[in-house]
Amino acid sequence: MAATAEAVTSPLPVAQSRWSPTAKGWAARLLVLVAIFGGVIWATAIVPQYWADRISLAVIFAIIGLSLNIVLGYLGQVSLGHHAFVGIAAFVSAYYVTEKAGCSAEKCSLGAFSAGLVFAILSGGAAAGLLGLVALRIKGLYLALITLSYGFMAERSIFEIPFLTRGGAGMPAPRPEGFTTDRAFAFLCFIFLALVIFVDWRMIKSKVGRAVLSIKHSEPVAASYGINVTAYKCMAFILSGMFAGLAGGLLAFRATNVVSNDFNFANALLWVLMVVVGGLGNRTGVVIGSAFFALFPFLIELIGPLDKFVSGTLNRNPAEFTPVIGAALAILTIIRFPGGIAEQLSPITRWLGGKRFSMHPDGGHGDAHSPKKTVLSKLGLHKGEAEAATDASSEEIRNDEEPNLAGQPEEPAGVSGREDS
Amino acid sequence: MRTAIVTGALVALIAAILFMGAGDPTGPNSYVVIGLSQGAVYGLVAIGLVLVYKGSRVFNFLQGEFGTLGAFAVFLMVQQWKVGLPYWACALIALAAVTIIGIGFERIVVRPLLNAPRITVLVATIATALFAIAMELLVFRPEPKILPPMVDSLFGKKGFEILSFTLEPQRFLIVLVLAGLAIGLGYFFSRTDLGLAVLATSQDPFATRVVGIGVERMSRFIWASAAFLGALAGILYVPLTGALTPGAMTTGILIPAFTAAVIGGMTSLPGAFVGGLTVGLVQSLSNWAANHYTLGDRLLQDIIKGAPDVALTLALLIVLLARPQGLLGKEA
Amino acid sequence: MGAVLEVKNTGIRFGGLVALDDVNVNVPEWEIVGLIGPNGAGKTTLFNCIMGAYAPNTGSISFRGRDISLLPTHRRTALGIGRTFQNIGLIRGLSVLENFMVAQHPRIGYGAIGALLGAPRSFAEERKLKANALEVLDFIGLAHLADSQLDGLPYGTLKLIEVGTVLATDPDLLLLDEPSSGMGPDEAHEFGERLLRLRQMLNLTVLMIEHHVPLVVGVCDYVYVLNFGKVLTEGKPQEVRSHPEVIAAYLGGEVEQEEQEEGAGVAS
Repeated sequence: MAATAEAVTSPLPVAQSRWSPTAKGWAARLLVLVAIFGGVIWATAIVPQYWADRISLAVIFAIIGLSLNIVLGYLGQVSLGHHAFVGIAAFVSAYYVTEKAGCSAEKCSLGAFSAGLVFAILSGGAAAGLLGLVALRIKGLYLALITLSYGFMAERSIFEIPFLTRGGAGMPAPRPEGFTTDRAFAFLCFIFLALVIFVDWRMIKSKVGRAVLSIKHSEPVAASYGINVTAYKCMAFILSGMFAGLAGGLLAFRATNVVSNDFNFANALLWVLMVVVGGLGNRTGVVIGSAFFALFPFLIELIGPLDKFVSGTLNRNPAEFTPVIGAALAILTIIRFPGGIAEQLSPITRWLGGKRFSMHPDGGHGDAHSPKKTVLSKLGLHKGEAEAATDASSEEIRNDEEPNLAGQPEEPAGVSGREDS
Repeated sequence: MRTAIVTGALVALIAAILFMGAGDPTGPNSYVVIGLSQGAVYGLVAIGLVLVYKGSRVFNFLQGEFGTLGAFAVFLMVQQWKVGLPYWACALIALAAVTIIGIGFERIVVRPLLNAPRITVLVATIATALFAIAMELLVFRPEPKILPPMVDSLFGKKGFEILSFTLEPQRFLIVLVLAGLAIGLGYFFSRTDLGLAVLATSQDPFATRVVGIGVERMSRFIWASAAFLGALAGILYVPLTGALTPGAMTTGILIPAFTAAVIGGMTSLPGAFVGGLTVGLVQSLSNWAANHYTLGDRLLQDIIKGAPDVALTLALLIVLLARPQGLLGKEA
Repeated sequence: MGAVLEVKNTGIRFGGLVALDDVNVNVPEWEIVGLIGPNGAGKTTLFNCIMGAYAPNTGSISFRGRDISLLPTHRRTALGIGRTFQNIGLIRGLSVLENFMVAQHPRIGYGAIGALLGAPRSFAEERKLKANALEVLDFIGLAHLADSQLDGLPYGTLKLIEVGTVLATDPDLLLLDEPSSGMGPDEAHEFGERLLRLRQMLNLTVLMIEHHVPLVVGVCDYVYVLNFGKVLTEGKPQEVRSHPEVIAAYLGGEVEQEEQEEGAGVAS
């Protein structure tokens, strides 16, 4: 590659290393992270059981959000039928443990539970994989319509299959032994969320994530870079389906009984909105946004006067406000704050990721300002000389990078990006 | 030309089915009538969808809720508040109210997103639809309400007998409205200045602006029209379902209407009519087939539940894979 | 020295529009071959056929004697064909560094499944890849832009990045689509010099779509002229340049071409 580089252009004297935090800086970041995660774990450990149950719902929603994020945030396609994957997986795992593995009404063996989850993951992946095949030929708005139709079809036909769903009574799915309490089950869900986050992290940091993002932005260019577009599109859908399947399985065991009503297209739409509000393509934002949507009604409960107002004066269940607030937030996000929660939190998350703390995203421009300083300091210039040198060297730098309007937040690739649909 | 051929083919197909099923009580004939009358509703909604697509190049997920809101508005005036005005007057007021909502939506949501990717706008319409449904739930509660039909007799008759199926007057009214719209819109878009301006805007916004037609005005007009048509569909159709619930028009009608618009061609208004009737037929005929045919010793409908939805999904898939621009559309 | 690329009798039509008609192009090893013609002649369409973005209706395409007509695009890239685009073929959502890394996709030493499961190999290879990419960026003087997004970067820089990413994949055959667009006469000349140096240092073979006549004359060993999807004429640059039909195609022919373009809305 050296010959290439030399031949292409004459090098500028601006080579310098990328900024990295000090040991103390890393320690501080680690401390904050431990505090956050520790706090969540500790909260789960001490709250009453019914709150732990709600927390596990939030965790499962986070998994669903991450699943949808792969298709919506990374690949850039809208899926309005995700409830199909989640629901199918839930029924498959419930069916397995009840009919095939013969779990008792009280609890399941860990083996049966694990196998049930595996089947859930596989069926979710398969159902989504079918959609992925369709997505090879149909894109954008029309694919969104197909996913909607697909979801409806699942609701009206698959969720009605008697041997799978036992009609209105639902298919039981007892908790695995050792995790029968709500609290224990919540911790189990945390473990799975960690796994999902790990895989998602590996995906984005590797060639897989880059390939998928490239396909989203420009298929022809991605193909000419040597990316097998077909394979990666399918992979994205299958992975998304597998996460959705895992969530479905967990939902089944959390509720201990799976009923078709739990999976309808209103849910699917809400999940899309929660990913949008969280911030498309941003893992942290999606997790927080999903958790928020799951916990929202219960948060109202916590605020005494608000709770009294809602239940008393308005005489409504707080849960009914979730779609109202959620939809309003989504509209607000789309119109005014395209990066969602993720963007609002980005100073913190960037700092935690090892960058300097700053309120404005740099995207490299911040680093680009430091070359001036680094070059000057390397040249050992004094103040007076520095100014003279600044004029000269800043010309070069300005020619190479025109910074965005200062302070204008950059939109993470997603909802209001510049790409074509 | 192509419109004539496609319509002719459809008529021929219907005639063939009716001919083959003539005299057979378990035959599909009554299903054909149901299907066509249901198709008229889909066509009515599909027109709004096509209008928005032509104007803003987006799938308007809110179209169903324009209908539900219209129905609720009439319900409020006629059943709840009992304002004492005749039904049709309440309907007009409701139409006006929803049209205003449509204009408001265009201003608040569509306008800022003029240059955003179309998927973004789709999600925005989805969010707004969900918001509307959630508000309806909060205000009106989930228990179904009864909204009486506007007409219980038309031209002096209480029922229209067609091929051993009795069509309620309101259903027949819908068919008449659809036919009237077909003629009216056809005239509007080919003869009037405003109509031509709308078409021009959808084809080339820049050139339209150069010529002096305000793109913003066109956008507002299109969304106002879509809201009006959507509300009209809701006000006429919901009484026939016997249950006014939050999200009624979105859960029941929107997806078949979208399928209708796609099959007819998202850029073709005549296509919306043709697509609507086609979807209605596909639905009811697959219902009939599931009821009529057996696999082994069980009726199909006991094996595959939800046959109409399966049939629709397949139809949508086939059209999008084989001919994405639909029967009468011009571009994918 | 055989031909690196052979396009034989290739034709493609879109609906009623014939974009390419019985095109024969031969690119021998280590030559820089030019592809010129008025807008709408089908030059980029030909590139798309060579790369596999379009499937021609007739004819075949061979690379080093091997028929690649049925291979998908990513396989053709892996064989050693690199291509630049008319409108800058970079991934706009990724940073400069990430673009460099994506371009190396086929040569990365771990599998997708392994990556997802967190195989140690993927970590190591990623580190290596990133270090290599940074090195290259460093050499061409753009290290300070490594984490920058592409939007907001000036056109010249983007072109530089694009060429850099493609060359870093060590291609045998380079397809350049109007590389000098946006450049003034001096820049274009400099680019021509660099291209000649590159050909020497990297053993490149080049097929180049160009409008800039001095550049074509100065750099190309052979030129094909395309008009209305057909090869109008071919030969050494000097001969082609003074060919009366070629002149007519650009001047007189251009008027007809515009009218045809309005009707069909086809870009080159």
